[in-house]
Amino acid sequence: MNEFWKGAVNIARALWYEEARACVLCGGVGGVVCPTCTTDYLHPELGRCSGCGKLIAKEKTVCLDCDAGMGPTQLDQVTAWGHYSGGLREFIQNVKFEARPRRLMEIAQPFASWAMTQLPAVDGVLAVPMHASHLAERGFNQAEVLASAIHWELGLPIVEGVERFEATPSQMSLSRHDRLKNLKGAFVVREPKQIKGRSLWIVDDVTTTGATLEAVAEVLRGSGVQAIYGLCLAAGLEKRLVP
Amino acid sequence: MHFYLTLNQDDRVGFSPFKERDKASRVISTLCLPLSYATIQAVQKKLQRSTPFHFWHKEPISKDTKLEINKIIRGFGWKASDLTWQEHAPALELDQRAVKVEDNIAEEAFNRLTLGRQLSTGDLRGLARELKMKEDDIKEIAHFNVEQGRAKWVPAVRPTGKGWQCQRCGEKDVEEWPGQYEMAATCRSCESIGSSTSLEVLYRDERSLMGAASEVIFQPHWVLTKAQRLASEQVLEFIKDPCDHAALLWAACGAGKTEVCFPAAAWALKQGKSVLFAAPRQDVIHDVAPRLQRDFPDYQFQVLTGISPIKFQSGGMVLATTHQVLRFWRAFDVIFLDEMDAFPYKGSRALEWGLSHALRPGGKILYLTATPSSEALKAVRQGKMQLIRLPARHHRTSLPVPIWERSRHAIEPNGFTGVWVSQIKSLRLLGPVLVFVPKISWINAWIKCFRQYFPSWQVDGSYSADPGRSSKIKQLRQGEFDLFVSTTILERGITLPGIQVVVLGADHPVFDERALVQMAGRVGRTKESPEGSVVFISRQRTTAMKTAILWIEDQNKRALELGLIDS
Repeated sequence: MNEFWKGAVNIARALWYEEARACVLCGGVGGVVCPTCTTDYLHPELGRCSGCGKLIAKEKTVCLDCDAGMGPTQLDQVTAWGHYSGGLREFIQNVKFEARPRRLMEIAQPFASWAMTQLPAVDGVLAVPMHASHLAERGFNQAEVLASAIHWELGLPIVEGVERFEATPSQMSLSRHDRLKNLKGAFVVREPKQIKGRSLWIVDDVTTTGATLEAVAEVLRGSGVQAIYGLCLAAGLEKRLVP
Repeated sequence: MHFYLTLNQDDRVGFSPFKERDKASRVISTLCLPLSYATIQAVQKKLQRSTPFHFWHKEPISKDTKLEINKIIRGFGWKASDLTWQEHAPALELDQRAVKVEDNIAEEAFNRLTLGRQLSTGDLRGLARELKMKEDDIKEIAHFNVEQGRAKWVPAVRPTGKGWQCQRCGEKDVEEWPGQYEMAATCRSCESIGSSTSLEVLYRDERSLMGAASEVIFQPHWVLTKAQRLASEQVLEFIKDPCDHAALLWAACGAGKTEVCFPAAAWALKQGKSVLFAAPRQDVIHDVAPRLQRDFPDYQFQVLTGISPIKFQSGGMVLATTHQVLRFWRAFDVIFLDEMDAFPYKGSRALEWGLSHALRPGGKILYLTATPSSEALKAVRQGKMQLIRLPARHHRTSLPVPIWERSRHAIEPNGFTGVWVSQIKSLRLLGPVLVFVPKISWINAWIKCFRQYFPSWQVDGSYSADPGRSSKIKQLRQGEFDLFVSTTILERGITLPGIQVVVLGADHPVFDERALVQMAGRVGRTKESPEGSVVFISRQRTTAMKTAILWIEDQNKRALELGLIDS
């Protein structure tokens, strides 16, 4: 009976007051992502490198690495929601390493709406696949959860058909050169017919050099995909920008 | 952490954290698919059900067992293409593990540091870092202990009929999410000490912290007062008594309840019983540790709090916060829990569950407090818990009984008319004044108000989220303030010589009888200034205020009857 009353009180409260939402990244007040975190991590004042998604000065279109030809070449554009640091990094790590995939739904709405303003409309979203053994360990693929959040918010169909063939070591510990080499032959398209001639967003949680996106894009191009865009939650910041 | 199903030469189904088999093992094939321990258990259960006469088969039937396992796992949602078996050549006839000397040292260190522990994969990773070992080597030793029956793997969050239960903290309120092959759940209540999910395992060492009776040198640097000696004898009796399992030591504030437990702890350690001294707050642990170390010279303690730099220590006596206790499983014969009514232990089902599961079967638990919870008092009334009283302070002076000062008007800093100014002035003659208020919003307003009325005084205040809190409290300890305004953050755990206490708005619901007794208990704690005044100022006299005064008077009455105080 007591439980019943508690429930009734909660419903009544929900009807009367709109519950103030705490910031996903810092727990403070001021919306899903509060103004302070927006300034600190999402940097709306900065541009994104179209080659690898890195945060760069507004007036530039590509970062120094991509300008020097060291970035991805198979993607039409790459973009990232925020800088992989502080609250945003903690959020992503909490999701991945403390098994809280549901938390990604908390940012689904702002992330998807932001993505829509940054990238051209496409036929579907494709998550960067995870190898079966890693998937069994973690229980979920954060990129797939993100893709499904975008599907939920924007109604874009989810595209499947790419598999991670090899269980490569984590990209985190590798150098730029090794990252590209590490992923050679890691992905394979199972059903090229289904994706031929289409345009896609490839979704991942974090991008640093863009090597993973590039490796997926390469096999997609080989299967006749027309347009490929990379979309990530977080990316690095151009070194020159760091004060 | 994940496991691989294995098949032995004799067709026994086992599991291992590694896909690669070590040379001496009898494993002939391994399923190349990492599975959660919960899934391994489910497979084993299904296998047992489907082959009840399994042991009577003399013919090798490994092919059938494999098919059976494949079928079961496909039933869980895996694709047939994932189910490949790796075959191994027949093992060399070596029964013992080929161990190197350094492996032996590592194994010895691992076993010494994990006695009675309950560790998550993250904790094992931390141990590997502390021991400068590879993570896989740690896993190997842990799994070897499991195979030898010294330890167990348990799913960190286990499905229970309708829901889930975290096996580390016992909580059932988890966050459920659709995993790739099964529904999964993450515990929300103990995530502060690392994640706990249904896909992860806990390593539970089932050995006692103490091997056998041991030599313990106990050299107390103090003499117990008569009141302490009486209580101490009762505590020792309780620890020795094979019947009782729980007792409550109800002490007056500042009576020295911690030292009362030392002789009983010394006796238990000599008998080879492991002892835990737990408290909800870090500062209590850091306060007790040097006192114990001084009285037990050369004895090895484990001091574990959130800020301990070394997380893995050895020794039969552990001092830990109630959060760290979640990392032990049936490890202690005797537990002393200080401040059972303090945050965060009070009202936390998870910490209570953790503490009761850290106790060995048949172990003893003694709760120490100046303000017992109503549940504890109920257990005493029902005869489930023994009650030990320690009613007097060491200086043989009675506890100051609060005086109620009735306010005709609502107590508001803005509408203050200066009615008790002379009273506060006379309190200041006895010592610095500590003013407790029920809400943070009052702090600055009252500071301003008091500064206006006492322009020559040093007046300040603090509250939990105050960035300058620690430096102000340091100044307060040094006696730099004439008047200090505080919320309940200073209600316990602090001794300020000569302090006088005023509780403004004592009828506010945030002040229950426990908070009021604790605040009053700040007065007269030292030998140099054993007396002082406590004033409750409010419009009404609440039940909590009456109970608080009754408790203090009752302690004084009892102490006087036993001849423990002079007046």
